[in-house]
Amino acid sequence: MLEFSAINIGCTIANLLILYAIFRIFLFKRVDKILLQRKEEVDEATKAADLATQQALSTKKEYEERIALADEEKEQILADIKKQGYDEYDRIVSDAKKKGEQIIVEAKHNAEVENERAKEVYAAQLTDMVIDAAAKIAATKHSSADDKELYDKFINEAGVDNE
Amino acid sequence: MDIKELLNEILLKDKAFIHLPFGNGKYDIYESVVVTWIIMAIVLVALLILTHGFKVHNISKRQAAVEAFVVWVRKMVGDMLGEEAAGYTDYIVTVLIFLGVSNMSGLLGFIPPTMDINVTAALALMSIVLVEAAGIHHKGTKGWLKSFIQPMVVVAPMNIMELAIKPLSLCMRLFGNIIGATVIMELLKHVLPFALPVPFSVYFDMFDGLIQAYVFVFLTSLYIKEAVE
Repeated sequence: MLEFSAINIGCTIANLLILYAIFRIFLFKRVDKILLQRKEEVDEATKAADLATQQALSTKKEYEERIALADEEKEQILADIKKQGYDEYDRIVSDAKKKGEQIIVEAKHNAEVENERAKEVYAAQLTDMVIDAAAKIAATKHSSADDKELYDKFINEAGVDNE
Repeated sequence: MDIKELLNEILLKDKAFIHLPFGNGKYDIYESVVVTWIIMAIVLVALLILTHGFKVHNISKRQAAVEAFVVWVRKMVGDMLGEEAAGYTDYIVTVLIFLGVSNMSGLLGFIPPTMDINVTAALALMSIVLVEAAGIHHKGTKGWLKSFIQPMVVVAPMNIMELAIKPLSLCMRLFGNIIGATVIMELLKHVLPFALPVPFSVYFDMFDGLIQAYVFVFLTSLYIKEAVE
């Protein structure tokens, strides 16, 4: 048993190499194949998850851009509406002012016309009263006392009519 | 029976199993080689059964156990070898399993192949060839030759001697431990054939066998790691 035998050492080396081949073919390769397939599946799932994340981020960015655009549009619309509102307000106020001024001018004109008409009526009445008074004076004999009385009467009547 | 007779019986027994009609016994095949063939056949059948019908999903407990064992043993050996020598993991795992099964084959009634110095010598020879091949592969022939004068020229003779010392120590350590365990077990059987050998058999045939397999593989890995650094 303590003798070295080249043939037995050689056989053992050959046995060892064959055993290594057996382990490689029937254990390591089979296990490696399964582990590799599993790893590929995990890698694919990871890749798909990464892609989905990227797509989600891209959609989020697009959404944020749209929101920003909508905000800008909203601001623009609000500004336009405000401007339109102020313009309308100014126009209405301006129109009202013009209308008011026109009403005032018309009222003044009407008042003047009315005044003139009243003046003409008074003048006509005065003329009638003067004629009437003159006719009465002419119709009656009169003294200075009568004249004074007539004057007072005329003045009083004129005062009452003018009130 | 004294120890000398026992040693003579164990060590000097004719272990030739297959006698060839030529070479005057020089080419006889020893029992250790035949037991190795039996172990190889058992391993092959076991692997065919264990790795049959492997699936990617919905795996069986058997497949889970095999996968877990392969991953664990590869990691253990890979850690010993280091990253640069990771390519030798599968061979070292093969040696570890072969030694483990061989050292425990006594439980099945076989004489452990590692009790034959030719088997341990072949294993040690393979280890040292692998160590030097790894050194040449990683450093190149020039770098490998230069490693003999590292860290200084004075140590070159010792480094060259190590080429023979390393495999010799690997071979003798394994052979000595297994033969020692066998001698102790035989003595125990002579002292008290009943009950007493059982706990010692658990230690020497199982625990010590696995420890020696681990030590052999650990040292080989260490030498390979040193060679590639």
